[in-house]
Amino acid sequence: MKFQIEDVTVYFPYDHIYPEQYAYMVELKRALDARGHCLLEMPTGTGKTIALLSLITSYTLSKPNNPVKLIYCTRTVHEMEKTLAELKLLHAYQTIHIGDRARILAVGLSSRKNLCVNSRVLAAENRDSVDASCRRLTASWVRVAAAANPNLPTCEFFEEYEKAGSNAVLPPGVYTLQDLRAYGKEKGWCPYFLARHMVQFANVVVYSYQYLLDPKVAGYISKEMQKESVVVFDEAHNIDNVCIEALSVSVRRQTLEGARRNLNKMRQEIEKFKATDAGRLRAEYNRLVEGLAQRGNLPFTDNWLSNPALPDDILKEAVPGNIRRAEHFLHVLRRLVQYLEGRLETDNVEKEGPVGFVASINTHAGIDQKTLKFCYDRLHSLMLTLEITDTDEFLHIQTICDFATLVGTYTRGFSIIIEPFDERMPHIPDPVLQLSCHDASLAIKPVFDRFQSVVITSGTLSPIDLYPRLLNFHPVVSRSFTMSLTRDCICPMVLTRGSDQLPVSTKFDMRSDLGVVRNYGRLLLEMASVVPDGIVCFFVSYSYMDGIVNSWNENGILKEIMQHKLVFIETQDVVETTLALDNYRKACDCGRGAIFFSVARGKVAEGIDFDRHYGRLVIMFGVPFQYTLSKILLARLEYLRDTFQIKEGDFLTFDALRQAAQCVGRVIRSKADYGMMIFADKRYSRHDKRSKLPGWILSHLRDAHLNLSTDMALHIAREFLRKMAQPYDRAGGSGRKTLLSQEDVEKMGDGILNEMQY
Amino acid sequence: MNNGNGRRLNGETEEDDDDEGSEGDLDAWERTYADERSWESLQEDESGLLRPVDNTTLYHAQYRRRIRSLSSQATTARIQKGLIRYLYIVVDLSRAAAEMDYRPSRMAVVAKHVEAFIREFFDQNPLSQLGLVTIKDGIAHCLTDLGGSPESHVKALMGKLECSGESSLQNALDLVHGYLNQIPSYGHREVLILYSALSTCDPGDILETIQKCKKSKMRCSVIGISAEIFICKHLCQETGGSYSVAMDESHFKELILEHAPPPPAIAEFAIANLIKMGFPQRAAESSIAICSCHKEAKVGGGYTCPRCKARVCELPTECRICGLTLISSPHLARSYHHLFPIVPFDEVSPSVLNDPHNRLPRSCFGCQQSFPNPGNKPSLRVACPKCKQHFCLDCDIYIHESLHNCPGCESFRHSKSPIATEE
Ligand code: SF4
Ligand SMILES: [Zn+2]
Ligand SMILES: [Zn+2]
Ligand SMILES: [Zn+2]
Ligand SMILES: [Zn+2]
Repeated sequence: MKFQIEDVTVYFPYDHIYPEQYAYMVELKRALDARGHCLLEMPTGTGKTIALLSLITSYTLSKPNNPVKLIYCTRTVHEMEKTLAELKLLHAYQTIHIGDRARILAVGLSSRKNLCVNSRVLAAENRDSVDASCRRLTASWVRVAAAANPNLPTCEFFEEYEKAGSNAVLPPGVYTLQDLRAYGKEKGWCPYFLARHMVQFANVVVYSYQYLLDPKVAGYISKEMQKESVVVFDEAHNIDNVCIEALSVSVRRQTLEGARRNLNKMRQEIEKFKATDAGRLRAEYNRLVEGLAQRGNLPFTDNWLSNPALPDDILKEAVPGNIRRAEHFLHVLRRLVQYLEGRLETDNVEKEGPVGFVASINTHAGIDQKTLKFCYDRLHSLMLTLEITDTDEFLHIQTICDFATLVGTYTRGFSIIIEPFDERMPHIPDPVLQLSCHDASLAIKPVFDRFQSVVITSGTLSPIDLYPRLLNFHPVVSRSFTMSLTRDCICPMVLTRGSDQLPVSTKFDMRSDLGVVRNYGRLLLEMASVVPDGIVCFFVSYSYMDGIVNSWNENGILKEIMQHKLVFIETQDVVETTLALDNYRKACDCGRGAIFFSVARGKVAEGIDFDRHYGRLVIMFGVPFQYTLSKILLARLEYLRDTFQIKEGDFLTFDALRQAAQCVGRVIRSKADYGMMIFADKRYSRHDKRSKLPGWILSHLRDAHLNLSTDMALHIAREFLRKMAQPYDRAGGSGRKTLLSQEDVEKMGDGILNEMQY
Repeated sequence: MNNGNGRRLNGETEEDDDDEGSEGDLDAWERTYADERSWESLQEDESGLLRPVDNTTLYHAQYRRRIRSLSSQATTARIQKGLIRYLYIVVDLSRAAAEMDYRPSRMAVVAKHVEAFIREFFDQNPLSQLGLVTIKDGIAHCLTDLGGSPESHVKALMGKLECSGESSLQNALDLVHGYLNQIPSYGHREVLILYSALSTCDPGDILETIQKCKKSKMRCSVIGISAEIFICKHLCQETGGSYSVAMDESHFKELILEHAPPPPAIAEFAIANLIKMGFPQRAAESSIAICSCHKEAKVGGGYTCPRCKARVCELPTECRICGLTLISSPHLARSYHHLFPIVPFDEVSPSVLNDPHNRLPRSCFGCQQSFPNPGNKPSLRVACPKCKQHFCLDCDIYIHESLHNCPGCESFRHSKSPIATEE
C-alpha cells in the first residue's frame, strides 16, 4: 500500500498496516525532519524493521535532492539477513510502483568468516584465523612475492577482483550476505573486499554494531560514511553494554605470557630484516616521523584495525621519538609487560583511575602518557613492516597495546581494577587486570556527533528516559508504542508466593532457603502439567541454576517434572547449548513437550526466540540483578552516580528489569502467537520494580495478577490456554481495529497516533 | 471491509459494556472454586478485575463462523457428502483424564458426551459405522470393532472407565490406521480423538505416522480437553480434520456434536458409488426368533433381513449373516438434509434495527419470545433470507443444527399449498 505522511509518500509492501507501525513511522519522520536523534520502543512482532525501512527509503525517495544514507546496525548475522530480506521485498514493491527511480544499492557487511568464498580459507574455525588465513594470501608483500614465484599461494578471488579494478562494482540491488557470496562466486571476485568497497557508495548498509561502535573497526570500515546518514541501532536495549565493552580490556597472566612470546618472535624478525633488508626498517622510521596519517596510503588489504582511541589529531602528530625505532619500541613494550606482570602479583584487590595508573607506569617503567597513546598504531605499523600475516598469533600483544593506548588517551570514565582471584572462587588464584570503561557515551559519542540522525530502537527500552542519560545525548523524539492486539495474547503474572503461601524470592538471604527452592520446584512441576509443548525457564545466574537444579534433583522434584516434559539445560559451552536447543525444539515438535533451563544475560536470553509452541510459558525465577559485589560494577555505579546523577539502585533495577523483559519477551514474536510470562519473585510486585517493565507488558499485567500464589497462577494458566486455543478473527472483528488498509490510513490520519502512545 | 467498518463504529460502546459487566464476573471466578478452598484474601483485590468470559456471544460468534464456512463450501461447488462413514473414536484414558477441572472428572464428562454423540451419530449417519479405541499406559486398545449398534459401544465404554499412565498418539493412530485401511473405498475413514493429555510419549517418529494417515486418507480430528498442542494441530492440518479445544463441558458437548453431521467429502472420494441396501420389515409383535446379533431368543420386536431372513434387533446395522446393509427408510430420509443444507441466516445490522421507519417484528418467529431492546448492543437477531422472518440466536442454532428446516419457510409453504411435504 501507499500512503502519505505529511510530505512523504510512503511505500509499504503489505496491504495492511498495524496502527502502531503507522505511528512509529510518523514519529520517525519527525526525527528525520528535525535532523536529530530518537529513541523508539516498540514490541517485537509488530513489524518494526519493515516500518523503519519503508519510511527511511521512502523519505529518501521523496527528497531526491539531499538523499540520506541508511546505516542499519544489527546484533547478529541472522538479524542482518532478515533485515536485508525484508528490504528486498520492499524494494521489489517500490520498483513496481515507481520503476527505476526506486533503484538502490543495499549491502550487508560482515566479517570474512561470513563472506569469504575461498574454501581453503574457510576451513579455519574462528573469525581471527579466517582473517589471518586471508591475510596470508592477500597481504601486499605476499602478492609481490607471488608475482615472482607462481608457486606461492594467493587467493584467486582477490586477484580477479584486483584485476577488474574500478570495474569491480556491484550493480544496484539488494544484497544479502548470501547474495554477495553467490555474486562473488559467479564473477570470481572476493565478496568481502567487494562489499567493503561498496559500503561507501551504497544507499543502505546493514552491518554489525561493532562496525560503528568499536573504534578499532569503525576506523577503517565506516570512516567514509557521509554525514547525511541515518544510523539505526536495532534491538538496542543493551547498547550501553556494547559501548563499554568496546572500550574495555582485560589482561590476565596468559595474556602477558603470550605477549612475551610475541615480543621474542618480533625481535627475531627484526634481526632477520636487519640482516637482509635494513632499508625497510629505515623507511618505516621515516614514515613515522611524518606522522601516522601516512597510513592511509597503505594498500588496503594491509589495512589494519585502527587506533582504538578516537582523536583524529593523533594521526597528524609525529610518533614520539623513543618508539620510532623498532628495537626501541620493543623495549618499551617489554618494560610495560614487565610492569603489568608486577601489578598482577598482588594479594589485594586494587582500584585505580587512569591518571594515577599512567603516573605510576611513568615512575616505575619510564613510559610516558604520550608514548602509551601511540602504542596501538606503532605496533601495527611494525607488524606491517615485519610482514607478519598470521595476525591471530599476535592477539596478545595487540591486547596489551590496546590497553596502553586506551589508558593513555582517556583520563576519565575508566578505572583499572586488579583482582587476585574471582570473588566467588577465592581459593583459585586467577589474577586479572581490567581496564573497564564506565561511560557508554564515550564510544557512541562520535556516532552522535558525526551523523545527522541516530535511531535507537528495541522492544524494551524502558524506562525510556534513562537511555539519553546513559548515552549522554538529546533525542528529539523519544516514544514508546503499544502493540495493538486482536486478543489478549500475552498473559504476564507476578507470582509472589508458593502453594504454601510463603513468599518466594532470589534475594540473597532467601536464596538458599529450602522452602523457596521447593516452592519454585513445585511451581514448575504444576505448570509442566498444564502447559502444553515448550516451557522456558530463566534463572538469575549459572551458579544459581546449578544449585537449584541440584536440589530439585535431590528432593525428587526434577524426576516428577520429567514425567511431564523432557528437560534441557543451557551451558557455557556454545556447541552443547546449540545441541540442547535442537533437541528441545524436536521434543516440542513431536508432542513430547520440553522445558529449557536458561540464564538471564546468557546467549539464549539474548538471541534465541521461543515463539509459538516452542514457548507457551516463560518463567523468570528471581530478579536478574547483576552480581553486585563485582568490583567493576561498583566502579561503574559510582561513576554513574557522580557523573550522570543516576542512583545505584535505579540503575541496578533498570538493568535487572530490562534483562527480565528481554527474557520473557522471547515467547512472543508475532501477534498470532500467544504465551504466558511468570515473574516469580515477590519483589516484582513492588511498584518501583514493576514500573520499569516495558509498557506493552505492563498494559497486560492486570492488578489481579500482581500477587499470585502457585495455585492461582495455575488456574489462570488453564483458563488462558483454553481461551487462546479458540479460533479468532485476525483482523480484529470485535471492535478494536488492528489492521489498517490504505483507505483506513487515509481516513484516520493522525487519530491513530494518539491511540498508540503511552 | 464494509463489515469491519460497521463494527468499528460500535467499538467504543462495546468496550464500555465490558467494563460494566466485569462486576458480574466474580461469579465465574467463584464458581470454579465453589468447592475448593476459600479465597478470602484473593477476592478482596480481585473485585472487578477479571474480565468476564461472556460465553454466549462467544459461542454464537463461533457458530456463525462455522455456518459461514460450511455454506461457503456448499456454494462454491456442488459437493458430495460422505454418507457412509467409518469413524473411530479414540478416547484418551491416560493419567491426565483423571483430572478434575471438569466435574466429576474429565473422563466421566468425556464418556457422558461420547455416549450422546454415538446416538446422535447413528441418528444422522444411519449408513455409517463406528468403533472405539482407548489409550492407556501409553498403549492403544481397541474397545469395540466397527459396528452399527450404539448400545454395544456405549456399554463397552462405560465398563472401561479408569485411567492411568501416559498417552501415546502414535500408538493410537497406528492401531486405527491398521483397521481403517481395510475398509472399502466408498467409505470415509475418520478418526475423532478426544485428548486429555498435554503430551504424547511415542515409541517412534509420530510425524511419519501422520504422513501414513494422510496417505490413507484418514481424516483425523482432535478435540482437546485442556490446551492447544502443536502436534495435534499439525495432525489435523495434515489430514484435513478439525482441531478444537473445549472451554468447558457445554462447549465440549457442542464441539463433539459438531462431528455428527458428515464432513465434506474428500475430493478423491467423490466418485459416485452404488451400494446395496436392505430395508427390513419389522417383525410381528408376537413372533419369536433368535436374533443374529445377541444370539438370544427374543419375542417380538426386531427386524428381518430381506435377503437371508435373519433377525436383528436394531437398525441400522449390517446383517451378520449376509453382510447386507440394513436400514430403515426414515433413517435414509434424515440423511438427506446434509445434501440440501439450509441457508445460513443473515445478521440484522444495528443500523436497520435503529431505523425508526422500519417496523420490525418484536418477537422471534420460532419461539415467540420477544427480542430485547436493541439499544447499543450488537444485533441479537437474525433473519432468514428467504422468508424474511426474524429469529433469536438460540432458535438460529437449533434450526441449523437440529431441525434442518426453517419454520418460516415451512409455514409459508404450508399456507400456500396445503399438501405437507415429507422431509
Ligand atoms: S580475499 Fe576474499 S575470498 Fe580470498 S581469502 Fe580473503 S576473504 Fe576469502
Ligand atoms: Zn439382538
Ligand atoms: Zn442378511
Ligand atoms: Zn426463538
Ligand atoms: Zn425461512
